[in-house]
Amino acid sequence: MNDTQFDAIVVGSGMSGGWAAKELTEKGLKVLVLDRGSMIRHGVDYVGEHAEAWKLPFYGMPDRERAASDYPIQSKSYAFSDATIQFFNNDRDNPYLRNEDKPFNWIRADVVGGRSLLWGRQVYRWSEQDFRANETDGHGIPWPVDYADLAPWYSHVERFIGVSGEAEGFDHLPDSEFLPPMDYYAVENTIKQRVKEKLPEVPITMGRVAILTQEHNGRAPCHYCGPCQRGCSTGSYFSSQSSTLPAAQATGNMTLLSDQLVERLVHDDTGRRITGVNAVNTQTGERTTYTAKLVFLCASTLASTQLMLNSRSELHPNGLSNRSGALGHYLMDHLAISHTGVLVDDVDTYYQGNRPNAMYIPRFRNVGGQDADADFVRGYGYQSPVLRPDWEFAFNRKGFGASYKDALLRPAPYWVWALRAFVECLPRADNRVFLDATKKDRFGMPLLATEFTWGDNERALVRDSAVQAEKILRAAGAVYSLIADGSKLDEGGDGVHEMGTARMGADPATSVLNGFNQAHEIDNLFVTDGSFMTSASCVNPSLTYMAFTARACDYAVKQLAEGNLTS
Amino acid sequence: MNRREFLQCAALISAGATVVPKGWTLSQDQSRYLAASPPYIEQAAPSFFSVSQRADVRAMADLIIPRTDTPGALDAGADRFIELMVSDWFNEAEQQHFMAGLAEIRDRSGGDFTARTSAQQLALLEALESESADANWYAPFSTMRVWDDSAPFICQLKELAVLGFTLSEVGATQFLRPNPMGSLNGSLPLGPDDPAYDKESMLRSFAGEASQ
Repeated sequence: MNDTQFDAIVVGSGMSGGWAAKELTEKGLKVLVLDRGSMIRHGVDYVGEHAEAWKLPFYGMPDRERAASDYPIQSKSYAFSDATIQFFNNDRDNPYLRNEDKPFNWIRADVVGGRSLLWGRQVYRWSEQDFRANETDGHGIPWPVDYADLAPWYSHVERFIGVSGEAEGFDHLPDSEFLPPMDYYAVENTIKQRVKEKLPEVPITMGRVAILTQEHNGRAPCHYCGPCQRGCSTGSYFSSQSSTLPAAQATGNMTLLSDQLVERLVHDDTGRRITGVNAVNTQTGERTTYTAKLVFLCASTLASTQLMLNSRSELHPNGLSNRSGALGHYLMDHLAISHTGVLVDDVDTYYQGNRPNAMYIPRFRNVGGQDADADFVRGYGYQSPVLRPDWEFAFNRKGFGASYKDALLRPAPYWVWALRAFVECLPRADNRVFLDATKKDRFGMPLLATEFTWGDNERALVRDSAVQAEKILRAAGAVYSLIADGSKLDEGGDGVHEMGTARMGADPATSVLNGFNQAHEIDNLFVTDGSFMTSASCVNPSLTYMAFTARACDYAVKQLAEGNLTS
Repeated sequence: MNRREFLQCAALISAGATVVPKGWTLSQDQSRYLAASPPYIEQAAPSFFSVSQRADVRAMADLIIPRTDTPGALDAGADRFIELMVSDWFNEAEQQHFMAGLAEIRDRSGGDFTARTSAQQLALLEALESESADANWYAPFSTMRVWDDSAPFICQLKELAVLGFTLSEVGATQFLRPNPMGSLNGSLPLGPDDPAYDKESMLRSFAGEASQ
């Protein structure tokens, strides 16, 4: 099958790969999409969707034995359960190396559609402040792109995926093209009103999510069953399975192959052009070389970097496009930490439907300049879900019989409000991935090794998130608060926002990719998953990956038409 | 509406939907999975306890969550759930801990728990609970974890009974109530006797690695 000619090969079919497939096929290219994961069919294979607790093994209590043997890393994700296990990577079959002193948890999907099936669906545009952050405070290298470059591509993506939210006009968190926002709970309206009066500098808005609140592009609005990560047969949240892959399929230009683990990219004699994509069938072990004029790496941050490192050659001795030495370095994530308050307002109200979304408090520190009292740069936003506790908080009491049973029946007479800070992480060279010199996977590919620690700035941001959360909870009328002291932090990767390791920049001496996600040293290689990220902002990154992917596709196809990519 | 569509809608409605969304694409496979798979407690026959241990657990589950004007633990099959969890979910150390607790109950009830009067049975459980009063299990918000393997037997028994009751089909639909799917309404009045919704996912599963 090595004589098949495609115009483009896309490695990966998740958030970025789906977009690359859609954009390139819609521009008329014949596209081969390769995914290492198994094929699942949209809807049909979401076997955990709407499964009642009583039908799940152990009523949905986590299977600890299997988690320990096969999913020790994946089971750290809140989205991992018996209802979603079919989407996740088997850590025993597909391992990586985790340094116990500098741990990084690599949460991976292993199906066509990738983590677009499992993502948190929160979407926020970056702002000019985000794109200027590195050059302003000197951490990392400047972005070669600014907000104006990306804004039309944000719109392009948003119009397709559907984003619900409220237009607020914040300069530092630009509005998306919104569908109507999701409804507030009564207690959230109370919170919002009180915080607005007492802390007007701390805005609260409804979470911006790629979940439909009305019919959009033939997809049905959300039916509010709750746990999106089980898959959505109505396609009401955006996934490549529900949206971009069907769009690419509809062009007739896409060939999609599952179970294809890409091991290595091969280049021509000049070293400036990828000529072959070597893949192994994970089920049969059969090896195939695919060829195309263009290659888009969308395999996910760490997997794309692993592949570029493993493709080293005489002309690219440190990995592809790595004369800078930056490949594998500057790994980032978001550090999340929760502060919690209890409110006793509006307890005679309830809600209907499981809203898969929460209020959001956009960054309010160091906005438009450095705050005088801030011993840190950058900032954080709070994802801030309100929840109504029930028996799950009430069963650990004394007693037996009718009165004990009665205490399990009603919602608790209070609400819990969690302020979950998502802290921006600075790019540091020490946070890195590299190929292990000796250990290999079952196909002979060197294992990826990871090293990650949080820095002083992240710790300072965590401390500040505690101080500010206390203020916000008090302003909101919380009668009790539980403020995390930061003594126990999440590990790297727990945010599942891993970014960097093949950063973009204007200068080939310090970066791997240029401002169009094109490898500095290889003209027909584009990398558009999270690995290109040069800084992290504090907002959820997927929307930005999608916008950069669409923009890179547009650029690549124009370059191809002008004959610039054929060497 | 043909038979297949009917089945799809039936699956959705049985899951609590008030409105069947436009573009519903529930597949045959999926509805088969939903409709045909038996409840967990009927998927295997418990065979871990002896006949007398099983009878003791039944009696204790009934004391913890009795039938009132709503079904109780035994109506919900919570006793089966307890045995399956001890058998299949507990590790060996947890099994030993639990079985030692059962043995102690038997000893302290003179060899046969079920032969005691209900009042005597209850007094024994209450005695065990008061001896365990300083366990962390009783601390507020201590339930945000997967399992407290240091908790005394009586606490673990109560917790299993609660899980086996509230997460069961009977508990979720005849004690608690399903949260209707189909639309979102952020604010509804909650009456003094209105039950909480059943669980779409357990908060404790979010607690695994969460920061504190």
